[in-house]
Amino acid sequence: MSMLSHYMLLFIGAALINNILLTRFIALCSFFGISNSMHTAIGMSAAVVFVMMMASTTTWLVWMFLLVPLGVGEFLYIPAFILIIAALVQFVEMYLRKYSPVLYRSMGIYLPLITTNCAVLAAATEVAKPGFFKMAMAYNYTIGEALVYTLGVSVGYGFALIAFTALRERLDIAPVPRALKGTPMSFITAGLLSLAYVGLAGWFGL
Amino acid sequence: MLVSILKAVGALASLGVIAAAMLAVAARKFHVEVDPLVESVASALPGANCGACGNPSCFAVAEAIVAGTLPATACVAGGQSVAEVVAGLIGSNSCEVVAVISVRHCGGGSNAVRAYEYGGIQSCNGVSRMAGGPLVCTTGCIGFGDCLRACPFGAIEMDARGLPVIDVVKCTGCGICVRECPRGQISLLELLPDAAPVVVRCCAHDKPKARKAGCSMCCIACKKCEKECPADAIHVTDLLAVVDYEKCTGCGTCVSVCPQNCIDVLVSTTVSSASADGLGKDAPGFVSVVATASVSE
Repeated sequence: MSMLSHYMLLFIGAALINNILLTRFIALCSFFGISNSMHTAIGMSAAVVFVMMMASTTTWLVWMFLLVPLGVGEFLYIPAFILIIAALVQFVEMYLRKYSPVLYRSMGIYLPLITTNCAVLAAATEVAKPGFFKMAMAYNYTIGEALVYTLGVSVGYGFALIAFTALRERLDIAPVPRALKGTPMSFITAGLLSLAYVGLAGWFGL
Repeated sequence: MLVSILKAVGALASLGVIAAAMLAVAARKFHVEVDPLVESVASALPGANCGACGNPSCFAVAEAIVAGTLPATACVAGGQSVAEVVAGLIGSNSCEVVAVISVRHCGGGSNAVRAYEYGGIQSCNGVSRMAGGPLVCTTGCIGFGDCLRACPFGAIEMDARGLPVIDVVKCTGCGICVRECPRGQISLLELLPDAAPVVVRCCAHDKPKARKAGCSMCCIACKKCEKECPADAIHVTDLLAVVDYEKCTGCGTCVSVCPQNCIDVLVSTTVSSASADGLGKDAPGFVSVVATASVSE
């Protein structure tokens, strides 16, 4: 398999087939919490792409060059990654505030909120321990694979969030039966959207 | 065993130290110079970050006031005294605060018919997501007291009818209850001028017949108040009596004539109005204008 198609498959696998929201059901709190308006959904998606790429790169470096050589990675990865992600987001926030006030304002409240978003930790974990959620063999991503994989996860997150927001905005003006108005209808919609993603399972043997 | 414990402690500690050092350097290096005026305005504000004005923090309000996007009176909780200090700092002379209080436009409570039995989370915001709320009336007070829990000034209490009674003396008009109420946007709770003498205890706009099937206390749009009002201050608009507080003189005629006891006297802001809530013309101390008029004739 050529290098390019390997990366393409990695990306599609992370973004669509193993979509973090609709196939693996991680970070559902933000999925329901901020899908009320397109404006916030786009802001959150952009911030997640940004933070996830930064966080996964850093955690990959720490994993490969600190935790694995010391032999403590197996039980220390979660506290270490949480520490790294929290510090990193703080750092990025300070940096943006100084050098890019426009970006800082547009990301607004989402940047600090992402500190505790489980999708970021899930992507970092997956990068360190590929196939963790499938309990597969020990294998280490290269830095290139890690970046492509993380990009796939975050783009998949944004795509699912924006699609769901669009549906919810339409539903707000649709004649929904009174008994299903509000949250019940959102859950049904999310379930149907998830079913659509399940249709992709098994493509390319992913 | 001991070695791996030491390794783990060492690894995590060194990560922590590195992160702390990085953040300390960043805090110094990326320090943003703040306008001293913003800082002085921020210190004049209460600094409680209560959120009553709708902004995320007092500092954000200070920035907006200095930038000119918010008026000197932006701080709701601070009221007149804070507005004067802020106006002095930014050199503005418009610091007249229009005092408001929160009122409830519903007299339903236990008189409102339930659409279904609800046994879930005791929260108005929660239950209003279930089939449009537990009441047949889609505008009335649900009565689980989200407003009461949100009120930072303890001005709201639930009474025997299961309705929140707002103490006009304690209410600062911050509007948090209005935002917290799932029906605040359809003015179940509303901010009114401090001096508002009367209040209509209903906010429904559907057909009066259907409305009355769901609640015995509602406004039935009979227009008696509109006809009798000497100041032309109350009108039935969209099947609901609405008071024009610019014109209202507080004579109490509408309170006397309302067949539903749906209009209440708000007395004044110096006396707690809790005793008159929901009683309409039967409120203690209220002298019916119509009754005295007919006697004198």
